[in-house]
Amino acid sequence: MRSDFQIMQEEMNKLSENMGKITRFSAEISESLKESGTNVSRLCSTRQLLDKLQFLFLLPTQLSNAIKDGRYTDAVRDYARAQRVLQRYGNQPSFQSIQTECEEIISDLKKTLRDRLFSSVTTASELAESVGLLQQLQESDSSLEEMFLTCAESRLEQHLQTLTSLIDKCDILEWVEKCNSMLLNDLGIIVSCYHEMFANQNNELPEFAESIMSQLFHLFESVLKTPDNVGTEIYIRGLDKFFRKLQAMTDIISSESMSNRSVEIVVQCIFHKALIQSKSVQLQFKENLTRIRQSLASKGTESIDLKEILNSLQVYLIEKVQASLLDLMAFLQNSLSFGLKSWCAKTVSDACWKIISETMINLSELVKKLVGPQTSNNIPFELLLILAKLCLEMQDSGVTTLHSHLLKLLDESAPGFKADNKDTNEIMVHLATAAQAALDTEVVYIGQTAAQMLRVSVLARDWLRAPEPRGPRAVCRRVVETLTSADAAAAQLFPSGVKQSSDSSRRTLWPRIPSSFSPISRIFSERIEVFSPAGADRAALSTGALKVALKALVECVRLRTFGRHGLQQLQVDVHFLQQRLSCIGNDERLLNALLEDALASAQLRCVDPQLMEPSKLKEGVTFDRVLYSIQNSESDNNTRPRSYCWIVRIHNIVQDFNNNCATKFHHNDAINNKLWVQEMNKLDTDSPVLYYKEQKARSDKLDADDLVVHFAH
Amino acid sequence: MDEGNSIIYGLEHQTRALSPQYGENDAIRFLIGTQSLKPNANQVHVVELEEDTGALHTKVFKHDVGEIWYLRCSPHDAATLMTTHNSYDPATSQCTMGVSILKLPTVEVIPKDLEDLSAIQGRNAEDMTLLKTLSPEKPEEVLRCAEWHPTDESRISIVCENIVSIRDIETGASVVSASPEGRAHLKYTNGKWNPHQGQCQFAALQDTHVKCYDTRSDSTKPVWSVDSAHSQLARDLDFNPNRQFQLATVGDDAALNIWDFRKGKEPIFTRTDHSHWVWTVRYNTYHEQLLLTGSSDARALLTAAASVCRDLSDDGEKRSDTLEDGVLQSYEQHEDSVYCAEWSAADPWTFASLSYDGRLVLSRVPRHFKYKILL
Repeated sequence: MRSDFQIMQEEMNKLSENMGKITRFSAEISESLKESGTNVSRLCSTRQLLDKLQFLFLLPTQLSNAIKDGRYTDAVRDYARAQRVLQRYGNQPSFQSIQTECEEIISDLKKTLRDRLFSSVTTASELAESVGLLQQLQESDSSLEEMFLTCAESRLEQHLQTLTSLIDKCDILEWVEKCNSMLLNDLGIIVSCYHEMFANQNNELPEFAESIMSQLFHLFESVLKTPDNVGTEIYIRGLDKFFRKLQAMTDIISSESMSNRSVEIVVQCIFHKALIQSKSVQLQFKENLTRIRQSLASKGTESIDLKEILNSLQVYLIEKVQASLLDLMAFLQNSLSFGLKSWCAKTVSDACWKIISETMINLSELVKKLVGPQTSNNIPFELLLILAKLCLEMQDSGVTTLHSHLLKLLDESAPGFKADNKDTNEIMVHLATAAQAALDTEVVYIGQTAAQMLRVSVLARDWLRAPEPRGPRAVCRRVVETLTSADAAAAQLFPSGVKQSSDSSRRTLWPRIPSSFSPISRIFSERIEVFSPAGADRAALSTGALKVALKALVECVRLRTFGRHGLQQLQVDVHFLQQRLSCIGNDERLLNALLEDALASAQLRCVDPQLMEPSKLKEGVTFDRVLYSIQNSESDNNTRPRSYCWIVRIHNIVQDFNNNCATKFHHNDAINNKLWVQEMNKLDTDSPVLYYKEQKARSDKLDADDLVVHFAH
Repeated sequence: MDEGNSIIYGLEHQTRALSPQYGENDAIRFLIGTQSLKPNANQVHVVELEEDTGALHTKVFKHDVGEIWYLRCSPHDAATLMTTHNSYDPATSQCTMGVSILKLPTVEVIPKDLEDLSAIQGRNAEDMTLLKTLSPEKPEEVLRCAEWHPTDESRISIVCENIVSIRDIETGASVVSASPEGRAHLKYTNGKWNPHQGQCQFAALQDTHVKCYDTRSDSTKPVWSVDSAHSQLARDLDFNPNRQFQLATVGDDAALNIWDFRKGKEPIFTRTDHSHWVWTVRYNTYHEQLLLTGSSDARALLTAAASVCRDLSDDGEKRSDTLEDGVLQSYEQHEDSVYCAEWSAADPWTFASLSYDGRLVLSRVPRHFKYKILL
């Protein structure tokens, strides 16, 4: 073991000896190689120096070549590399010439670049490049910034001018494309370049850009307004492009106000479009109305289907509004940059509602204007009825229909959007007042027309020396015609109300005897309001007109003095009016009261107040073949209460009969009547029938064709 | 009556003529003319309201010249009155109209002693002295009204359908006259003296227009006019007693319009509160913002037109909160058309309205309005 260790020891010693030898040799070798290494490195550095020198010597030529080729960037880069060296060794004569030469070239370059800045043909990117280069060439920043801004501004102004001149020449799409490619592109470049270069000084969007943008918005607004004939599709596409570009711009410019403005401009567009739509609806409606007015004015005597006109007008209006709403929905297309935004949906919904409400309010205003005091005279009354009904229909259903239609459209176009509820009260009030105004005007117009006829006829006639009456005066027939034609027209549009009372219907008017023409009798009758708001149904309308006409008759009669025949003439007239007018209106008591008043007033104003024998009235009212002589026989009959003679035409009796007695005895009217009378006579003394004459039955006083039923009251 | 209750006086005949006794400053008196075609049935009733007791005293006078269409008491003498009347002559079966000036034997109405009382209770109509009767130039002419000149005792104006003439009372001769112009020959319906402008202007209503003539010249051209004052016939007018360019008109369009006739295109005030033709309008003599109207809707309305009677210059602020424009009170005691309504000449707060059925209603401006105006 020990011997082993010793051997190992010796081996190790030998090994370390060898190692020492190797080290020595290697040191010797490196020593010998060191010299040549240094030589090599010296050679390299010399080479580099020579290269640099060559670059320097070649620099002027390269610079001028680069400039000649327009590679300003290369030139500036080369110059920047050389500049440091040249500055250090510039005082050595060999470099001095190079430096001067270079400086000359570079100052030329600067001049070129500056010229380029102010030249009008350079593009914005060239402009940015030039400014960048000038900056590298150590132009002072402040003057450079100023220069840059003035140049950029003048350039953009130029664009603006071009765009302004283009407004009238091309449509919105073309204009927006031009605007995007010219102005907004340049602005983008200029602004981003500005930020890059002068970022550390100013982070805001330069003022000039703001002013340019606001000018641009103004321009765009005028573009929006000028070509009204541009279709919605192209309009929206133009707007979309513009908006897209602006959105893109906001990334660069990152200005709060600008993105707001771009939203604003879309909102404005939508409302503008809505305005155009509602204006066109209004205009077309007006035209339509004028057409109807003309056709009504020139209709002559044949009757016109008012319902049809109303329907066409109503359908037309609703459809027009619906079409406008649909048109506005185009703003919500998914493909549009703003189509899916919720503010856009809200705006569209608001704008649509604006169309609806404005159309309705315009309609009401139009109606109110039409029925105003100045113009009411020459409007056909049918038109008043139609307009009143139209307003009422709109109030009833039109507005709700349109509103639900709008909700449906919104639901389709902007599914997630929840439209807020609109207040329809104001519109309803507008419509209701307009309808009322139209109805009132119609009633007064008809009433006054008839009243005027009566007034003129009563005031013009010499009642004192009037001849014995031969029949109702022609004016009565005209009054009846006026009132009944208005009634017929109203019947087409307005539902008939319930007839109020028929208990006193068609009894002979007998003026209250003067003693009863006293306050006492009037206390029990209601006060008659002549010019009162008209109800929206046929009977109320007719009653309203009736009141106006007949009250005028009463007042005019009181201003005249009557002779006996004058009074009797009026009696015949009043009788005729009662006969003919009892079928219109809903208040026969009122009709009778007014006519009684007229007759009583005439009696008071009569110098010889003798009313015509009722039997003679039939001669006055020949066409009705009234048979009154029966009343004479009645006066003998003391057991009967005071009775009224019912003057009836054959068709009337059937109607009354059906009123009074629900059952029908026979399909033949004549037999029917007879059966009913027989039935009544079974009641003996309680029977309301005093006298009955069958048709064809002979009687010395009566005509064979007449049928008379005389009732007790 | 102070609590808004009115006093009612009933006549047996139809009536459409009412006048306050202008010459009387103390007693509240009204004169009523009846309208009956029966011969010798017409009367003039003098009604006096005893202010302290609220009692009504009346005296009846015979008016045998015919039915009375219009009645005006003289502003110069309390006992004198002028009626526009119509009478029927059965012999010729013709009506003749005329203007008569009559004198009451006494202005006193309230009985002084028992004898007096019994005489009144006897209800015997007394006689009046007929001073003068003026006839129209043409016998057939329809007279509308006759008005005293406000200051000149010898002058009256007579409005006929086709002529307006100023007459001399003594001679009965026409001093000046005006006739309708133009082809339409629109008839005159009413007329009033303009109390301003030296009382030389007479305004007549002609169909829907107001035409004012200068009575110093014989020209048929009006000095001023308000054309189309109403859309229908104009029935009555009254001048603002204090403002010289304002007048009120009423008509068949149920409207009450107030005009500044210097710029007479649009009324400066308009209300349509009645529901039928308005036949009469009267300014309160002392408080121009109060107007009284009567209509054939059987109502008399007390209307305030304060907005056009406001002085902007001095105390505009103080008076701005007086009355609101519009109807102050509607008087519904009538049951027939109200053709006349008049303020008392003696008491600024009392007025009378008369309906065709012979009912006179004496009322007073409600107290709270009165205080509002006074305070």
